[in-house]
Amino acid sequence: MQAVKNLKLHLLAAIVVVLAEMIGIQKFGLVVLLPLLYALVIGGILSAPALRILDGKQMDRAAKFMPIAMLVLIAKIGLDIGPNLETLLNSGWALILQEFGHFFGTIIFGLPVALLLKMKREAIGACYSIDREANVAIIGEKFGLSSPEGRGVMGMYICGTVFGALWISLLAGIVAQMGIFHPHALAMGVGIGSASMMAAGMGSIIAAYPADAQLIQAYAAAANLMTSILGIYFALFVSLPVTIKVYEFFTGDRRQNKEAIEAPVNN
Amino acid sequence: MLENIAKLKDYLFILLVTAAYSLLANVVGYDSPLAGPSIGCLLLVVIAFVGIVISMLPGFRALPMVFWVSVVAVVVSVPGFPGGDWLLSYTKQVSFLAITTPILAYGGLCLGKDFEAFKQLSWRIVPVALAVAAGSFLCATVLAEFVLHLEGIF
Repeated sequence: MQAVKNLKLHLLAAIVVVLAEMIGIQKFGLVVLLPLLYALVIGGILSAPALRILDGKQMDRAAKFMPIAMLVLIAKIGLDIGPNLETLLNSGWALILQEFGHFFGTIIFGLPVALLLKMKREAIGACYSIDREANVAIIGEKFGLSSPEGRGVMGMYICGTVFGALWISLLAGIVAQMGIFHPHALAMGVGIGSASMMAAGMGSIIAAYPADAQLIQAYAAAANLMTSILGIYFALFVSLPVTIKVYEFFTGDRRQNKEAIEAPVNN
Repeated sequence: MLENIAKLKDYLFILLVTAAYSLLANVVGYDSPLAGPSIGCLLLVVIAFVGIVISMLPGFRALPMVFWVSVVAVVVSVPGFPGGDWLLSYTKQVSFLAITTPILAYGGLCLGKDFEAFKQLSWRIVPVALAVAAGSFLCATVLAEFVLHLEGIF
């Protein structure tokens, strides 16, 4: 039975989960470290080929596990949307339109850099969105996480997790101090789809415009909620196809074997 | 047909393991009781499973599982859906972060075989990541500023 064959994998995963939770959330000023980060790092270390704890097949199983496991999280996220549907539908135009900025900004800024650095199809996974959990799930399902696109999205996810909040807070702080943008616009900009990035960015903007603190918080949270909600659907139907088309247009690099994507998930 | 049933059994297994480990994380990390969150976890599994089944039905297959699972969850949580409040009262007890831990545990455990490929990717992803995040923030800010100006003028 598959479950027994992979017992080692599942036992290891349980250990990783317990260890990560035992370390718990740690805060160092602006930097917040979460158990999910430790789980990733500890799991990553345990999987190192040099240590020979896991074999290729078990790692393949782990890779197939992740996109399905993610669905539990997707369910949880979805459950937060229903109750907020009305609030969202009543948002002003600015809130709705700036979403396009969030979604296309990643491609407009990210893809050129990736292409300049001669990244291949990893660029698609890395640049099509800000790559939070749901976006990883989308790539995982479509291309598999062992694909170049999968590596791109995981790489971006890890970077976002490790220094996303720090980077956004630095950037938001600098831009806010420059005084070119209205604090409300900045607040919406910072509602990027990741709570930690939003919170960090918000802090910097409020530091520059302390009188507007309340409204900044409200706008940022609303924008963040919108990005989180629309995120899955926009990423799926717009961002991903657009990124693939743009990437293939500029590089002529089309996926070689379509069968690889359709590989059934078993074992 | 048989192949699909085998797949579904496997998916259910994966969902249950994830739920069990999320519960574990919930208890270890957030000192939660067992009873409520267990039901919450099971309900999440049910929602995910329903979404997966829908995604495998003829006609619905064009859209990925991620989409259907999230649609099921949204529908169930809209105020007025029968049983929605009851369901939410349990799923609320499962922490979002607790669910992320097992997912990333498996995510980490599968990285080893791609080590070489990641090493090739490694430093390049950093400037790209910075550009992606900056892009999202800046473009949204510019658009918001633009629309706010328009609304101000009107």
